[in-house]
Amino acid sequence: MNIQELCYLSAGEMGRLVKSRQLSPVEIVNACLERIEATEPVLNSFITLLPERARAAARQAEAEIQRGYYRGPLHGIPVGLKDLFHTAGVRTTSGSRIFDTFVPAQDCTVAARLAQAGAILLGKLNMHQFAYGPTGENADYGHMHNPWDPERYAGGSSGGSGSAAAAGQCPITLGSDTGGSIRIPAALCGIVGLKPTYGLVSRHGLTPLAWSLDHPGPMTRAVEDAALTLQVIAGHDPQDAASAQIAVPDYAASLTGNVSGLRIGVVKEFFEAPVDPDVARAVQDAVSLLGELGATVSQVSLPMFRLSQAISNAILMPEATAYHRELLQKEGHKLYPPVRLRMEAGLFISATDYLKAQQARRHFNAQVASLLREVDLLAGPAVPVPAPPLLTNQVEIGGQKVGATAALTQYTRPYNVSGTPAISVPCGFSQEGLPIGLQLAGRPFDEPTVLRAAHAYEQATSWHQRRPPI
Amino acid sequence: MPEPSTMSRETFLLLAQQAGLDIQQPRMAELYAYVQGVLSSIAPLHGLNVGDVEPDMVFNPLEHGAGS
Repeated sequence: MNIQELCYLSAGEMGRLVKSRQLSPVEIVNACLERIEATEPVLNSFITLLPERARAAARQAEAEIQRGYYRGPLHGIPVGLKDLFHTAGVRTTSGSRIFDTFVPAQDCTVAARLAQAGAILLGKLNMHQFAYGPTGENADYGHMHNPWDPERYAGGSSGGSGSAAAAGQCPITLGSDTGGSIRIPAALCGIVGLKPTYGLVSRHGLTPLAWSLDHPGPMTRAVEDAALTLQVIAGHDPQDAASAQIAVPDYAASLTGNVSGLRIGVVKEFFEAPVDPDVARAVQDAVSLLGELGATVSQVSLPMFRLSQAISNAILMPEATAYHRELLQKEGHKLYPPVRLRMEAGLFISATDYLKAQQARRHFNAQVASLLREVDLLAGPAVPVPAPPLLTNQVEIGGQKVGATAALTQYTRPYNVSGTPAISVPCGFSQEGLPIGLQLAGRPFDEPTVLRAAHAYEQATSWHQRRPPI
Repeated sequence: MPEPSTMSRETFLLLAQQAGLDIQQPRMAELYAYVQGVLSSIAPLHGLNVGDVEPDMVFNPLEHGAGS
């Protein structure tokens, strides 16, 4: 197996070979580091790479496994963390030079759980500054580039997580999602991105963007890898006030390949919004295939979809500004100008508008809940367009010019408002050869059904087997 | 189409000053235009009748009755 073949194994495949001692964590880490060395000058996925620390951890994992201490499927598997996950002894910039030398004393809960499971931290991944944007721009550490076309956005805010997983730099990456920041780069880079239910994965030790909308989750090349990662990071954390006290099921056990009897609702309003014809076609074909595989597909209506951007903006912006207000006042001039603009704009949203949005959120969520009593999953595109060219503020969809931020987040934001689990899984390519993502959303804490459907679709198609040209 | 924002430039500058921004900076014109866009984006909430529910202050997705 050459380096590229090794790097493109799924984490699940790597883990099985590691468990049976056919593959050493040292070989995996060295292969990933070589792949990073070859591709990083183009992609710029990482802010901080940890080669020596990763090699030492790989040697330790190898020794543990050789003496019979096997911790589980992530033991000896490299992971990368978006650079807002605090890591003990490793700088955490949140994508800003303001925090260039900030070294946390403690791991965030997600990092601690991954370390406990034996995963090997390969580095800290590039991101849109303070997670405040969906494109993957970063003037401080360099913009992120899409492995399918480096002149295009990787997406954001977890852009480095998307490009690293897609290009075989790292089999498992972690991102955070406040308005789509896991699912957008996943869709644009052609990988799997899972935003779990709000409260399932601890936010403790992550730099917040908006407290009531932030969701950490996995970004991987295979649905199985998302399930394996979620297994490790899910579960109650008393250090997170929003953490749910709920039993964590066996996510991998849900990957049966069987969608018979599953009811899937296609949200008709998603296709009334501006959507690229290639994306609409790919998603409709994907839903048809799920029907052929045994699911019952119907059209459903979510009238309040048209209000989801208003609700999201009126909640996200004041929460983000409230968190960053001191920084804004003292060091606003050091922020990336579009991020500074967003943070300052949050000052002008009134408390009454914020509260009205939180009231509207209840109505919106009641509508989502009602639909999820009729069907098991809601389906639609993850993003309405394939990856736009770098640094474009507007995208053209069907001859209509739309602001890039509003367009990229139009299908993802609703599920941040509802807090329900949602996944983006590769479902095709545009005529230009750019990936397209299918979004499936389920009931709160019903990740098993979301993963089951995504996995069945993945196994029935070959989109996930395509590799970017880099 | 988003509804037009109603914040005048004078109100914007007053609020900006109260919030501690330097209103002499030339970039205030860009911020004003951006704020107008943001306020337009949330304007659809204004006509919404949501008086029957309290704000969702401590968010819990299970409260909404969609649990599996």
